[in-house]
Amino acid sequence: METKLLSQHYHLDEFRFLEGYRKHGGYEQLPRALQMQPQQIIDEVKNAGLRGRGGAGFPTGMKWGFLPKNNEPRYLLCNADEGEPGTFKDRMMMERAPHQLIEGMIISGYAIGSKKSYIYIRGEYHDSLRIVGQAINEAYKAGFLGKNILGSGFDHDMDVYSGAGAYICGEETGMISSLEGLKGQPKLKPPFPAVQGYLRKPTIVNNVETLAAVKYIIRDGAQGYRKFGTEKSAGTKLFSLSGNVVKPGNFEVPLGFPLKDLIEGLGGGMKPGRRLKAVIPGGSSAPVLTADEANKATLDYECLSGMGSMLGSGAVIVIDDSQCMVDLLGVLMHFYHHESCGQCTPCREGTGWLNKIVHSILEGRGRLQDIDLLLKVADNMKGRTICALSDAAALPVISFVSKFRDEFEFYVREGRSKVRGTSYAEMHH
Amino acid sequence: MLKCTINGKEVEVKEGSTIMEAFYKLNEHIAHYCYHPGLSVAGVCRLCIVDIEGNPRPQIACNTVVTEGMKVTNKSERIKDGAKWVLDFHLINHPLDCPICDQAGECGLQDQYMEFGKYNPEMSEPKVKKHKVVDLGPSVVLDSERCILCSRCTRFTEEVTKTNELGLFNRGDRTEIGCVEGRELDNKYSLNTVDICPVGALTSKDFRFRQRVWYLKDSESICPGCSTGCNIKVYYNKEGMFRVKPVYNEQVNGHWMCDEGRDVYKFVNREHRLLRAKKHASGAWTELAPGRAAKEAAATLKAAGDSLALVLTAQYSVEEYEAIVSTFVNEFKTRKIYFWINNKESFDDFDGLLLRGDKNPNTKGLLRVLEKHGIEATWGELEKGLSSGSIKTLVVAGPENPAVFPDLRQKIETLSAAKNLIWLQAGRNEQLENLPGEVTLIPLKTFVEKSGTFINQAGLEQRFKRATTIVPEALTLTEAALLLSGKDLSIPVAKEVFVETNRRDDQVMLEHRKKNEFVFRRGAL
Repeated sequence: METKLLSQHYHLDEFRFLEGYRKHGGYEQLPRALQMQPQQIIDEVKNAGLRGRGGAGFPTGMKWGFLPKNNEPRYLLCNADEGEPGTFKDRMMMERAPHQLIEGMIISGYAIGSKKSYIYIRGEYHDSLRIVGQAINEAYKAGFLGKNILGSGFDHDMDVYSGAGAYICGEETGMISSLEGLKGQPKLKPPFPAVQGYLRKPTIVNNVETLAAVKYIIRDGAQGYRKFGTEKSAGTKLFSLSGNVVKPGNFEVPLGFPLKDLIEGLGGGMKPGRRLKAVIPGGSSAPVLTADEANKATLDYECLSGMGSMLGSGAVIVIDDSQCMVDLLGVLMHFYHHESCGQCTPCREGTGWLNKIVHSILEGRGRLQDIDLLLKVADNMKGRTICALSDAAALPVISFVSKFRDEFEFYVREGRSKVRGTSYAEMHH
Repeated sequence: MLKCTINGKEVEVKEGSTIMEAFYKLNEHIAHYCYHPGLSVAGVCRLCIVDIEGNPRPQIACNTVVTEGMKVTNKSERIKDGAKWVLDFHLINHPLDCPICDQAGECGLQDQYMEFGKYNPEMSEPKVKKHKVVDLGPSVVLDSERCILCSRCTRFTEEVTKTNELGLFNRGDRTEIGCVEGRELDNKYSLNTVDICPVGALTSKDFRFRQRVWYLKDSESICPGCSTGCNIKVYYNKEGMFRVKPVYNEQVNGHWMCDEGRDVYKFVNREHRLLRAKKHASGAWTELAPGRAAKEAAATLKAAGDSLALVLTAQYSVEEYEAIVSTFVNEFKTRKIYFWINNKESFDDFDGLLLRGDKNPNTKGLLRVLEKHGIEATWGELEKGLSSGSIKTLVVAGPENPAVFPDLRQKIETLSAAKNLIWLQAGRNEQLENLPGEVTLIPLKTFVEKSGTFINQAGLEQRFKRATTIVPEALTLTEAALLLSGKDLSIPVAKEVFVETNRRDDQVMLEHRKKNEFVFRRGAL
């Protein structure tokens, strides 16, 4: 069973618009929040144990606490550049419940003392851009945005910004560069965005789902929010289930939900005659889990990191026994090679190298030592760069190769897939 | 001040210093490409990784600020291995065309690979193809395949010249340096990008393919191109001078120099030089040794009496001015000493970085010497004297760098009104060699062939040292002054002849041995 908090009204078309949204309790939390002290809201978010839903899982209240305590102008940026392969939860939120995000953002903006916020929307999300833009206009008209919101004396302006289709702009400092009109490349840290971000001013970057959840923390209180989830992973989370399942889609479940139940129950299980082989639990950057691991896993930060993987953005990619892991790694490596921004040497050269090695295996030119070389290259890309893209490319390689080494060795020796039985060339022609 | 320990050695650094600066201060070796002390920190080459005690992850030295008591090392196995791999990442798509690359011999990739390299490359895939021989502008050529994308050049045009011609285009391993559309790398400091390029990606059109750098010697000097007095290194061998590069001096030029200054090596070379003295008397030119010509002129000067005058350009050293001015004042008893000012209108121009309108290295020095001797003669008096005939014999110390004298032609015409013209100058000049009157042309030495002092626009006295000899017979202005006053040249016992630097002989030897170790190990090539 799903536990619907954020996605409760997704099925209602009217929820997209201000009228409908207000019918179902919309903008009721904003006046309550505006009567609280900003610090109270931050404490409430801290106590609720809300963690970033974009991928890194960093405690949101703690992030807000890094802002300097002064009157310097600061910015709130909503990261809606949902680029992690397998993830489509933010898109649905923006298209089905844009006001929920906007309300959460106004409350968050009030909490951190920001008078201006931007929603940075992925370039391919044309509909989201239009719908969120319309919703912002509605909110302005109703007085939820602009000067002196609801007579509280708090001013807040909000705008949307469309990305141009780069995965790297989902990294918070890459996004800031892009928003500043520069090439979308991550910035060197320190200084961290909370100290020096957009336009060199203190900046908080949060995911769509994180900001929307703030509204529910205000509604239910920290304790009420903590009813869901586990001690270290509080609340509910949206999971984008995709891959070889009968019913893919977005599902909201409390954190700590068994992965098996998500696949078997909500996702309708495997297709007839197929068996589960592996699961990528948190977007393509998360290390893959074998079927055994997946059956034991629960969807929370601590269990998955204990298994050497991560909850990430909550994109669960299910892989059945008809899939060849070498093929899949080829797809992933092509993606990371295409998306590396090219700043840091290990990532710029490493992603290209990994892609070439995997494809030389696929095309039948592989040597047995290439399998170890993949591991060595990935190992030396890990943790050596400005942002996490290098790790995101290296981790799948390490997990794929170490957990499914037999498939790689078979491919090298036979020049064809152990699963499909055919070669790469045969598959493509 | 903060104390920290680098590779077991303690060092004190200023608050806010980075680990990289601490390494520099201790002179400890650390591999790096993108870090440059004159530019902002990019942190992209990822080569300067270090281990910090108590920190689980390796950090980059260029962007990590030192804290009190910090213990840092780049000698741990993890770091050494990590740096090897980062270097290999730099090299997997590098063409390794060292045999035809101009940078070979002074290349960051070569040097650092020798010290930190992995020595067993594992890349067996085809390399990425990029653009080659890209014409970036009037003076710089780019080879994108050699480029390691350290972004030093783009940061230079962004932060130093603020002209922003260069950018990084495309992404991932397809990234290339290039000019922004519709622009070319055409600013007055563009050749600095070639200096700071750690590899052979950016090469100077002027220098490329002209010499292998290991056939060049270098020597520090002062740029005579303008009154800023940038500290430079001149590169030369027995074939002549080949290029000029800046040397760091915080007080004068920082890390940079202008493109104009890069040309100062040209007028020094033999093909532009007057090699022997020339004398025009009774309708015929004769060639003779410079010393003899000066000695012969001595009699004319002595006989000239009150009709003798001296013209000086601001291109010689303080020592030479002192010698010639005191000779004229004391020996010839004349105070008709005139200062030839070139491009007067732009004398006080300054572009805010280095370039100054006064294109002489030693205007301040000349003025000081003239002031010391109480000379106040003006150019107007000289012209009057020439036309009235009160000045008949004229000695001129002409421009060493004629390119910065736009009025040279008219001035020669004016000055050739003197009945007897003795013109001292390093370079050749056709107009002078075709003058109808009695003319003696005596070749002088240039700034690389003598030692001396320039006083720059800020009043800073800078010594420069002889680097090499290009025209052995040419005289310095001091020697010319002695000979013109009828004295013999006393030959000083040269102390600096055998060892060019202040280093002791055995140290020089040791250093050379170390430098060539690699060659020795591999045997004869």
